[in-house]
Amino acid sequence: MDFLNLLARLADLDSTSAAPQLAAPRRAALGRLGQAGTALLPGLLLSALGQPATAGALDTRTRLDVLLLVRQLAALGNELHSRALGLVPGYPALPLTAAEKAGIQVIQQQEVQRVALFSRLITDGGATLPAAPRYDFTGSRNGAQTALYPDIQTNPDTYLLVAQVVKDVAVRAYKSQVDFVRSDAYLTETMLRSHSAEARHASHLRTMRRQRGAVVKSWVSPNDAPVAAPSPAIAKVYEGESGFIQTYNASDSSGQGGPLVSVPFDSTLPINVATPPLSAEAILRKVAEAFDEPADAVIATNVAALFTY
Amino acid sequence: MAGCGNDDDPKPVPDAGTGTLVFAANDTGILNLTYLLAQIQAALYQKVVTTPPADFTAADTAAFVDMRDHEVIYREFYKSVLGTSVYDNGLTTALEFNFTPYTLTTRKGVYEAARTLEDLAVGAYNGLGRRLANSSYLRLLLKITSVKARHAAFVRDQAEPNSFAGSDVITPTGNEAGLDTVKTPVEVAKLLAPLVPIVLVADNLMRL
Repeated sequence: MDFLNLLARLADLDSTSAAPQLAAPRRAALGRLGQAGTALLPGLLLSALGQPATAGALDTRTRLDVLLLVRQLAALGNELHSRALGLVPGYPALPLTAAEKAGIQVIQQQEVQRVALFSRLITDGGATLPAAPRYDFTGSRNGAQTALYPDIQTNPDTYLLVAQVVKDVAVRAYKSQVDFVRSDAYLTETMLRSHSAEARHASHLRTMRRQRGAVVKSWVSPNDAPVAAPSPAIAKVYEGESGFIQTYNASDSSGQGGPLVSVPFDSTLPINVATPPLSAEAILRKVAEAFDEPADAVIATNVAALFTY
Repeated sequence: MAGCGNDDDPKPVPDAGTGTLVFAANDTGILNLTYLLAQIQAALYQKVVTTPPADFTAADTAAFVDMRDHEVIYREFYKSVLGTSVYDNGLTTALEFNFTPYTLTTRKGVYEAARTLEDLAVGAYNGLGRRLANSSYLRLLLKITSVKARHAAFVRDQAEPNSFAGSDVITPTGNEAGLDTVKTPVEVAKLLAPLVPIVLVADNLMRL
């Protein structure tokens, strides 16, 4: 198990986005690290555990963990798109149209920019950058197993599907990670600004796929054609995206921890304004479209792991 | 009326300009601003769906129906969360928004209008997130932000191919290169001013 994946698993063992826990989870995390059978405690993790905890927050992940995750996702995206564009020796450019290439170049260049930004934030914080991983976007782990996407280096449709999946899961992961950096206003805003940039990229990739004939909206929809899942990690990417239930903790103007309230989309809210009105089921599909759901870091790192060896 | 500093004249009309909406320095103030944004966008998209430009395709209409539905869902969601603290709680008629700055008679004009408002919403949400006190509101804001960004990228691509993440919204160089737009509440209020028949005062939100 690689280190980042281990961190992600540890965090997810102790937290779910649905149920905030008050217990100090760092001791538990250390215990679980033992259970995970790892003899090595990297200095990275020790320094992470040394940071003060905020009561009530989901604080098993540190700012450093978060930065390493988003850097990992940006680096993976950069390599995926660079290979598609023919920028990496040994990987001929995919037969994309000039317009398609221009759009992918925008995404690729912004991935490079964000790798640089996150790398700087990591090293400015005194940590070191992990070694660059090796990638195999066929999912064969360099021939060690059957390829998940054997034609990804020749078939634009396969490449764009994988690109969409990687972006959509990154958008979901960013949402869960913001919880862990809230004490840092600068990093919170940086995460938000990177998160919406990711969503723009995801939307464009979806638009490109639709223009090539795929049944897919620019926003995640229950009406999208299901994404084939050659691996359980891919199946998890859209799990939970089709629900219409949204909840929050009511509070006064500044407090927290009030009663849990479920938004009454399925009963009293006057949201069905179409003429003629949509069916009850159809309007709730629109509710599902209107909210992108968070996902734990491990959902994203498991997808990244498919393409890393 | 919470979130509104104009209890004396709760009947703002488009041509009077006497009403003033002061956003409070708390989550209620923030959610009233996102509520207003959703109201404006729902109204614009409803107008487009009701009276589409002559050169609109079926796909254009389908997209605007989706976006209209999403914005209505956001509007009613914020209204539900705010309860009696919603800024227009005491108004007998809802505000009527002024879309004359936009050209809604052509496909291009409609997409440009949507581009302006979606980009503004993304920048507004990115600036408001860190100011929220209630974490569960922030989680919901984030769920909405990415859908807004997907809207923004879609309408930008329609207005101008491959402009989904153009240099006018994604910082192209420097220390913030690769990051999306961010707007302060005061900047948002100023950009919304031509569209609303009341004066928006967002200074309090700057303290958060």
